[in-house]
Amino acid sequence: MLKADNLGVKANGTDIINALTFNPAEERIHVIMGPNGSGKSTLSRALAGHPNYEITGGRIELNGTDITDLSPTEIAKSGLILGFQHPPKVEGVGIKPFLRKVLEAQDGYSAEEIDELIKEKGEAVGMTEEQLNRNINEGFSGGERKRLEVLQGLLLGPEVLILDEPDSGVDVDSLRVIAAGIEQLYENGTTVVIITHYGNLLNHLDEEKITVHLFQDGEIVTTGDSSLVREIEEKGFNQVFRECGCN
Amino acid sequence: MVAINNLKTRSFDKTGIEKQIEEIVDRNDEPNWVTDLRYRAANAYDGAPLDDPVISDPLEFLTNHKETPADRIKSLEDLPEETKALLDKLGISELEQRAITGLTIQDDREMIDSSFRSQWEERGVIVAPMEDAVKEYPEVRERFSGLFTPEESKLLAYHTAIWSGGIFLRVKEGEKIDIPLHLFFLIQQEGLAQAPHIIIWAEEGSEVQLVEGCTAPVLPKTSLHLDMTELYIEEDARVDLTVLQNWPEYVHTRPTQRGTIEEGGELSITTVGLGPGKSNVTDPQYWVEANGRVEINSITLSKGESLVDLGGSIYLEGDGSSGANNSKGVIMDNSRTITRGVISAEAQETKGHISCDALVMNDGARMETYPGLSSSVDNAELSHEAAIGKIKEEELFYLMSRGLDEEEATQLIVQGFVNPVIEGLPNGFLDEVKQIIDLSVQGEM
Repeated sequence: MLKADNLGVKANGTDIINALTFNPAEERIHVIMGPNGSGKSTLSRALAGHPNYEITGGRIELNGTDITDLSPTEIAKSGLILGFQHPPKVEGVGIKPFLRKVLEAQDGYSAEEIDELIKEKGEAVGMTEEQLNRNINEGFSGGERKRLEVLQGLLLGPEVLILDEPDSGVDVDSLRVIAAGIEQLYENGTTVVIITHYGNLLNHLDEEKITVHLFQDGEIVTTGDSSLVREIEEKGFNQVFRECGCN
Repeated sequence: MVAINNLKTRSFDKTGIEKQIEEIVDRNDEPNWVTDLRYRAANAYDGAPLDDPVISDPLEFLTNHKETPADRIKSLEDLPEETKALLDKLGISELEQRAITGLTIQDDREMIDSSFRSQWEERGVIVAPMEDAVKEYPEVRERFSGLFTPEESKLLAYHTAIWSGGIFLRVKEGEKIDIPLHLFFLIQQEGLAQAPHIIIWAEEGSEVQLVEGCTAPVLPKTSLHLDMTELYIEEDARVDLTVLQNWPEYVHTRPTQRGTIEEGGELSITTVGLGPGKSNVTDPQYWVEANGRVEINSITLSKGESLVDLGGSIYLEGDGSSGANNSKGVIMDNSRTITRGVISAEAQETKGHISCDALVMNDGARMETYPGLSSSVDNAELSHEAAIGKIKEEELFYLMSRGLDEEEATQLIVQGFVNPVIEGLPNGFLDEVKQIIDLSVQGEM
């Protein structure tokens, strides 16, 4: 269970988030929507412990443990994983050796089991053997990069998986595969938090499982069901904000 | 005052060299031409120029650093555990270890297993300790000092005067050797400088892959290592040479490599410098004939107070010849690394490329690169690229956000950085290299 209480975040000397409270319920797929520059990515990177995002106030808890000041490593080990908006390529580092190392850090896997698991989950997100034999994100399209993020989520099976814009720069086929991956994570008990500004991905997800949070100026201004997404698609953020008196 | 000082030093030095030559000649019973060459070099020493950022006079430098050498190694059993472990990891059998280590252990000549040498000879490869080779194979005479003269520099004069140890390797015409040949040898001698001489001679159409590991478990503290490798790559021959260097931090190393690549020949040299010593200054030179190719790849892990200065001149003398000089450096602590490769296009339709990449691990570590390209023809293709930077924060955060700690993530990134250069190495060797890289990075964290 993730709880962010009264959180303040500063990036590059500017306060981006002030007094945010975000307690996404378990066994749901959460969607954070908001216009560009509203602070959604800042929230995700701050939650994952990025050193350039300074927590100026409040507290982040995961399953009752205070993770506010933990390193990215410790946060990941506590069960919160971030899928990047722009996953970087890492020169010369093969996806498989990397995933092996990551999974070795988790107890109870043998080398054979790890390779089997990578193959199985790789197939689930439609990644070929050839793609898995490449270096991290080297020569990958937007869709391939995002598939690799979801693959890592599936392999690690974290308590909470935040996916920062898993649908941006992604073709329709990738969108379907990514949605299927999210459904699978949900079934396995992961609380998935999706950051997006489009409704596209949500068309491929079971609306019953979705809770939508509208984000503006570093705050969640309203929370509702998937109908909120339709409303935004029809009217745009500004009108929805005006109508709910959220701005 | 200055003049008198110089005079004093000089007369002392000369005696020093001659004394060393006498000792070597007494021990080796070598042919006259070898001894004559030694004295010619000794005479050239005074007049020879020296351009070195650290050492102003090799002899003066040495006489100022007299320290007791460690115990001599008399048999394989005396090898330090880590050296034995390294040989095991390289997959070198004990028999082979005896043969290989025996190559340069002067007092243990009987350790050289004659069956090892004759086995290779049956396959068309002559491999022999240089001291034996100068006596047994007359063809060594025309190749020894064929690509340099002792008059060129004080370091070469000194090397030629006092060389001992090293390997003569000759692959006969058309022979293709399908397993990598390990030239792993240990240097020990009681002198203050070590100067092994290596000749690699690949005859027309032959192919061989060589892995040369050079280490010195019993070097006197603060010593000078002056090795010379002469490479003769004949028409359409192909040589892949990987050199592992792992020197203790008190050793100054001045390796020299010279090579000729005849028509259609190919030479690829990969130097993996895991421990460059206190200072490592080198300026290898290669002459490439028509349609020949030379590729120099290097990785340098520099740490502590090391100074690494890597030159490298490639002369593209024949039409259609090509050359590449690719260096990668991982620069740590207060070390300083300089690369200054030069490629000269002197014939039609030649191609050359210089690249230099460096990961600077901390403030205080210094990296400089000065690529040199020159062309005297109008249709050469010459290019260079360089990138110096630190580990990208976003990459580090990415790897850490999957649960790897900072050290593991850094090791992975550094390995990825050097991987393109080392991935072709034999397996046991590759694992060893990776392990040493991991340990170096660990030491930094």
